[in-house]
Amino acid sequence: MSPRTTKAAKPVKILIAAMGGEGGGVLTSWLVNAARALDLPVQATSVPGVAQRTGATSYYVEIVPTPRTKLKGREPVLDLYPAPGEVDLMIATELLETGRALEKGFVNPKSTTLIASTHRVYSLTEKMAMSDGRYDDEKLLEAAKNMAKRAILFDIDKAAREAGCILNSVILGAMSGSDLLPIPAQTFEQGIRDAGKAVEANLAGFAVGRAYAQGKIIEAPTKAKAKAKQRPVTVDREAETLRKRIDGAYPGALRPLVMEAAGRCLDFQDARYAGLYLDRLDRVYGAETARSTVDVEKKGALEVTDETARQLALRMSYEDVIRVAQLKTRASRFDRVRREVKAAPEQLVRITEFLKPGPEEFAQVMPAFLGRPVARWARRNPAKARRLHFGMHIRSDTIFGFARMRLMAGMRRMRRIGFRYGEEQRAIEAWIELVCRATSENRALALETARCAKLIKGYGDTHKRGTDSFAAITAALIEPALAGAPFTAAQVAQAREAALADPEGDALAKVLAEITGAPVERVAAE
Amino acid sequence: MERSFAKEIESLKLGEGEVFEGEGILAVTKAALQAGVSYVGGYQGSPVSHLVDVLSEAKEIMDEYGVHLEICANEAGAAAMLGASINYPIRGLVTWKSVVGTNVASDALSNLGSVGVVGGAVAVIGEDYGEGASIIQERSHAFAMKSSLWLLDPRPELGTMVDMVEKAFELSEASNTPVIVMLRILACHVQGRFVARDNRIPKISGHNKIKEPVYDLMRISLPPGTYAQEKAKIEQRMPAAKRFILDHAMNETFEGDLDDIGIITQGGLYNTVLRGLNRSGLADFYGKSRVPIHVLNVTYPLIDEQLNEFCAGKKHVLMVEEGNPDYIEQALNAILRKADLQTKIHGKNVLPMAGQYTADVVQTGVAKFIALAKPKGVDTGRAASLPDEIASLKGKAAGHLGTPVPVRPPTFCTGCPERPVFSAIKLAERDVGKSHISCDIGCHTFSTLPPFNLGNTVLGYGLGLASSTGVAPNFERRVISIMGDGGFWHNGLSTGVASSVFNNDDSVLIVMKNGYTSATGWQFLPSSPKNGRFEEARMSIEATMRALGVKWQRTVQTYDVAKMVKTLKTALTTAEKGLKVIIAESECMLAKQRRVRAERAERLRAGKRDIRPRFGIDDDVCTGDHACIRLSGCPSLTIKPSTDPLRSDPKASVNNDCVGCGLCGEIAHAAILCPSFYRADIVSNPNRIDRWLTRLRGAVITRLWSPEARRIGGGLAGAILEPEASSRRAA
Repeated sequence: MSPRTTKAAKPVKILIAAMGGEGGGVLTSWLVNAARALDLPVQATSVPGVAQRTGATSYYVEIVPTPRTKLKGREPVLDLYPAPGEVDLMIATELLETGRALEKGFVNPKSTTLIASTHRVYSLTEKMAMSDGRYDDEKLLEAAKNMAKRAILFDIDKAAREAGCILNSVILGAMSGSDLLPIPAQTFEQGIRDAGKAVEANLAGFAVGRAYAQGKIIEAPTKAKAKAKQRPVTVDREAETLRKRIDGAYPGALRPLVMEAAGRCLDFQDARYAGLYLDRLDRVYGAETARSTVDVEKKGALEVTDETARQLALRMSYEDVIRVAQLKTRASRFDRVRREVKAAPEQLVRITEFLKPGPEEFAQVMPAFLGRPVARWARRNPAKARRLHFGMHIRSDTIFGFARMRLMAGMRRMRRIGFRYGEEQRAIEAWIELVCRATSENRALALETARCAKLIKGYGDTHKRGTDSFAAITAALIEPALAGAPFTAAQVAQAREAALADPEGDALAKVLAEITGAPVERVAAE
Repeated sequence: MERSFAKEIESLKLGEGEVFEGEGILAVTKAALQAGVSYVGGYQGSPVSHLVDVLSEAKEIMDEYGVHLEICANEAGAAAMLGASINYPIRGLVTWKSVVGTNVASDALSNLGSVGVVGGAVAVIGEDYGEGASIIQERSHAFAMKSSLWLLDPRPELGTMVDMVEKAFELSEASNTPVIVMLRILACHVQGRFVARDNRIPKISGHNKIKEPVYDLMRISLPPGTYAQEKAKIEQRMPAAKRFILDHAMNETFEGDLDDIGIITQGGLYNTVLRGLNRSGLADFYGKSRVPIHVLNVTYPLIDEQLNEFCAGKKHVLMVEEGNPDYIEQALNAILRKADLQTKIHGKNVLPMAGQYTADVVQTGVAKFIALAKPKGVDTGRAASLPDEIASLKGKAAGHLGTPVPVRPPTFCTGCPERPVFSAIKLAERDVGKSHISCDIGCHTFSTLPPFNLGNTVLGYGLGLASSTGVAPNFERRVISIMGDGGFWHNGLSTGVASSVFNNDDSVLIVMKNGYTSATGWQFLPSSPKNGRFEEARMSIEATMRALGVKWQRTVQTYDVAKMVKTLKTALTTAEKGLKVIIAESECMLAKQRRVRAERAERLRAGKRDIRPRFGIDDDVCTGDHACIRLSGCPSLTIKPSTDPLRSDPKASVNNDCVGCGLCGEIAHAAILCPSFYRADIVSNPNRIDRWLTRLRGAVITRLWSPEARRIGGGLAGAILEPEASSRRAA
């Protein structure tokens, strides 16, 4: 005798992968209440653990599609755990959590409908990486599409914001619209009304979710950022001259990048400085096009120039106090801040800046003969130097605060006599020289040499560490390689990645020691 | 903290025949009232906090029945409370999180177990074992065995859970033994239903008090009583318990047609076992299984004759028992051997020794068992192929993804007041070097995870300081201990502070004073603030420290990172010997926001002026190094794709969850980190002065912009002047 089962009485299994604090419990209770309203046997449970924080949290619900009265006293045995391969409806409130659900086998191409949001809430490991530690979204999306019987994927977070409701009401709508639940939309809507919180907004969100699931709204593929609106402009004569020079000297594929880069230098200092930028880039471009029959219009043909164009502009627009003050007093910034902090038109916004200059920052703008000894002292006595920093809270929306910042930005005109300017230009020259030499000898190495400049960024200790890492790689690998040592571009790349692996510099020291066979001292800590 | 459990409280009032719908732990609370408890106590901890939380709000019910609720100082206190049932026929229920809570309670439990009870004494413990657990992984089972307490592990169905709790009181009285009801996390949180019974008004209660004390030397845990008690456990209480369990059919047997095999399972795992059989084609969804199943709703003591009867005539039986060691499986083998039954027992040979028994774990074990047992007339192919199907599914997903998905470990909440303390420790370390850090239990244990990675040991709740006393005298630098205010009142006060002062230990203690036991759901402490005001707390940690003889003591607001760094450095380097206590004070941000948000909403509704601070980052100033994130880890401090065509690394960004705690600015200053941060104070319903000032400022600032400042962005396109648009909106 085999147990008799009726098809209708098979429970619908729903797994919700959420993050602590998103209110997955609210979503679950809506589901449970709807099932109860129809007298459908239902069970739900959760592993909140440390729920108020941001850990991954999941909720599991089983609903029997037959009302209790029709079960003739039989009591369904509902599971507390989702079983891999058996989930009918998988919900993920975020894209990475979708990946986690896939990994655990909860999405079965034969039977699982997946409703997932395409937005990302980055995990700490992704956020704290020293460069780009983000998981590949494309992989997640592709996996989701391939693994689900039906995938309903859209930016639920955005849809909820647009509807002015919480994430959960859009998800509930999508669940309802998937037609997998034995619960009509009206029951859910009634549940939202009964809950009595933000009823209108949540009903709107519910409708949007349903429409997405039913294919009535199709999310437009994310377009490249819409161009800024054309506004009436007057033309900057200096910019025009530079533009003409670039148009004449560089192939079409490179032009937008070089324009952006030269413009950055023009903005940082002046037209003469932008000219210096182009002079430097010309040398690299010359070296790269001289070496063989290069088709300059072909994509990827000028990798070294391309990378150098980027890094050179960033190096030449280094972040000193003058630059920071300049960027923070830009006319367009007030609007940007208002947008960023989501201030409504009728609200006012006050802005406070946190600056804490110390001996090094002052040394940077002093003439070299004064700045050098100060900088040297600060570098040798970091603890003492740290104590000499003084914190400033500047209200840059007030007249006095703003004027102070403008004054700092105005020091741009004196930048060339400053200690740091000289130091930076010397370092940049040496690097450009290295790139040029490598380009004619070993193009792959040249590309890596250009890329290594990426390490130099940030402020204070971060900047020091990056500079030291760059110097260490240059001295240990790049220069010896150009002098005939058997180090490869791949090894330089490996060292560059290691430099970005940990702020203590342990990984870099280890990799350099491995490659060169000589112990290398680690670079300064964070 | 103020929360409303009005709905939950209503369901505790349900009467005979009415349907209760709700959470498992609430059903257990209802069961206690149906059993007529006179007193309830407990110490908070997931997953059982709710029991005490709800009852502490249910004043109406408690007053009506005269039931006393004690918010105990720790689990030992809760267990000791059951002492009321030693001499008097009154029923009591206590609760805590296990296994850690049972460890703390074990002294009282041993004494209670030895002496025995006359009134029903029940401990409901939340077994926090497996995925998502926040504590060490051990079984509570051994406590029942060593102290001769009876252990219930009911089927996770609300009706059964409620019945078992009520029976637990009867069993306790019938056998003069305290009973432990063990509930797993998922069973505590399960949403289900059962048909209620009337609550029972206790015979003895606050309304009808005990008139005379009972004196009985044999109920004191002193010789000669202890010898007699030990004997009574074996000669009277155990047989009485077994008789009661049998007579009241507390364990259940579900017959099946494949009677040459069988499965014995802990009650709590029954649903998972049945559904595993279902997927193997051997059971339906309604409890009808082809394989006979014996459900142990009582896992200690085991009833020999019941197990013998179930196994007789079976060639193979699978024992499904979660965790390590396999006490039940061992006992089962011994029982069958004594009865000379040759049934082959399977268990840990097909199921893992350690770890949670989730659906696929149990299913795989069942499949392996079926393959080994080869029951007659069953195609074992389906069961056997299931594990492979799951593996191939996971393999396929892994193939599409390429690399494993990064983990999402728990971390401090947005704006958490404990985060700045660890930022400060990181900064202090740069100057005075790294020292050993003894951590404690609480939210602050997250310091041991990225991004801080601070902390070298965790030894138990309130034991941060105590666990430093061996290492401190042997460590080059002065060691740091951490303790929460919860841990301080739990036992850190005596085990840690008093002992350290007594021993003249030379170390630094940081007490995280956020006002609540936040990790378990913001329960109140003796030092909890009133409306956020610590000065109005009923007991003061500072005064307690002074009374204990602590000479060096500083209270620092946690968000003042610079001051915290300075205080830390002083404490770590001062020539003064003895215990140095830094009280890191700031209210739990979640608790604070619940209050502040409501107040703000009220102000905005009334059209009153309101200032909300939050932080932001200038994209063009940020270089994408993320050092700020490594010093903070705040959930609202995140990253976003770079829009700069020259830079590909994502930029740091503050999202709208920011509560404006100020840490970002403090770190930017204290760490001399980066000037990208700004604080924006958003003024709602500005008054006339606000508006006038803003207009004036806008007018002047517009004139201060040189053409260069009016550029839109970086590139040559940006270098084109843009004369009108921005200046118009500058204000």
